[in-house]
Amino acid sequence: GVRCFGSPRVLVEPDPAAGFAVMKMRNPPVNSLSLEFLTEMLISLEKLESDKAFHAIIITSDCPGIFSAGLDLTEMCGRDPTHYAEYWKAVQELWLRFYLSHLVVISAINGVSPAGGCLLALSSDYRVLADNPKYAIGLNETLLGIVAPFWFKDTLVNTVGHRVAERALQLGLLFPPAEALRVGVVDQVVPEDQVQSAAQSVLAQWLAVPGHARQLTKTLMRKPTADRLLKERDADIQNFVRFISRDAIQKALRAYLEKLKQKKS
Amino acid sequence: MKMRNPPVNSLSLEFLTEMLISLEKLESDKAFHAIIITSDCPGIFSAGLDLTEMCGRDPTHYAEYWKAVQELWLRFYLSHLVVISAINGVSPAGGCLLALSSDYRVLADNPKYAIGLNETLLGIVAPFWFKDTLVNTVGHRVAERALQLGLLFPPAEALRVGVVDQVVPEDQVQSAAQSVLAQWLAVPGHARQLTKTLMRKPTADRLLKERDADIQNFVRFISRDAIQKALRAYLEKLKQKKS
Repeated sequence: GVRCFGSPRVLVEPDPAAGFAVMKMRNPPVNSLSLEFLTEMLISLEKLESDKAFHAIIITSDCPGIFSAGLDLTEMCGRDPTHYAEYWKAVQELWLRFYLSHLVVISAINGVSPAGGCLLALSSDYRVLADNPKYAIGLNETLLGIVAPFWFKDTLVNTVGHRVAERALQLGLLFPPAEALRVGVVDQVVPEDQVQSAAQSVLAQWLAVPGHARQLTKTLMRKPTADRLLKERDADIQNFVRFISRDAIQKALRAYLEKLKQKKS
Repeated sequence: MKMRNPPVNSLSLEFLTEMLISLEKLESDKAFHAIIITSDCPGIFSAGLDLTEMCGRDPTHYAEYWKAVQELWLRFYLSHLVVISAINGVSPAGGCLLALSSDYRVLADNPKYAIGLNETLLGIVAPFWFKDTLVNTVGHRVAERALQLGLLFPPAEALRVGVVDQVVPEDQVQSAAQSVLAQWLAVPGHARQLTKTLMRKPTADRLLKERDADIQNFVRFISRDAIQKALRAYLEKLKQKKS
């Protein structure tokens, strides 16, 4: 077999003969999308995209019970505006690069997936979720007192439609597997021990389609949504910096981080 | 309106022209408020675009052909008549587009009668206005997966995702289409027509504002060696299947 490669927080298990690689997130305890982790994800994606042997990736988690907890709040709390801007640019980059990737991207969701974790899953072409009632998925930003950016919202609307997205976003809903399947946040729910094999089975169907035609079609479907961010990317960063710097927001984030600390101890 | 361009109701230039002339006649006659489109060729609604119009011809012909395909969509999609598709056969690609252009779709419950935009399987890409029509019908997510995978939905799936509105036993397709008509014709015509325009004009405008560019894009794309090669290979495969 081919040797695994990657970086401390992203383990890549390639299968070049079959044309895909598994990208395993391992940023314990909860795969928070820290700046370093985002950077490693993007580097791994770039490597796989530049290697003609790979046509698909499966994204999954190496941290038990969690796919990704989403944005790393310590990057957004008690820092300076320059840092906030750098961080937000990397979050935008994660979405843009995974959403528009010419590779087939399948999420094998083997843990709970709130907020940014849900966004990562929504950016893929197809989502398989483990049938564990604890593994809820959704954009729950409002529960933390913050607001999902418009491009998070656009990705959710594209997936589940306007009405479901409107209620889900306002209520900060986390959908358990049966509900997630019913509303279309995920495409398939399978027993927990079958998630990886189910993702690999689905791959075959996607790889059977002529690659150039599939890629052009993916771009046709997704570019208008991505362009809405691209045309005002800097403004979006400035909006984020302004918003996150607000005293009320910093206070809410500090309170949430404190609550998490207490839950741990 | 019974399509009878055997064997598979391919949308050849001549056939497109005849469809448009028939539509125009019916639209100009105040006696008619609705049409039912169906097939006179057994087992097939329409196989879609005629690949012989898109393969081994010159750019002028490609442009003429594509303009006619655009015209078919624009005229059927925006028709002030109620348009019901009684889908009594398999309906890939352009055949699916024609069905999606109507106001309502009844499909015969025969597992062979799959319907969908399967262009990617032929190595080509559905034009943006095919995509827009599909998104308007089944939503973005379903359309995104269906278009990339070139899915042809058998009746139960087609109904589940909303590509069609109703599935009935094969011998009831025509009568079901006629039953549905009554509901549509009961609505005050001018209000229904204005509402149809309200719903559909933004989508049609996206093509109308760049119609010539879309034709040039098509001519450029279809003229590519790789695309011509893929089409020739597909036509050859079809010939071998026949013999």
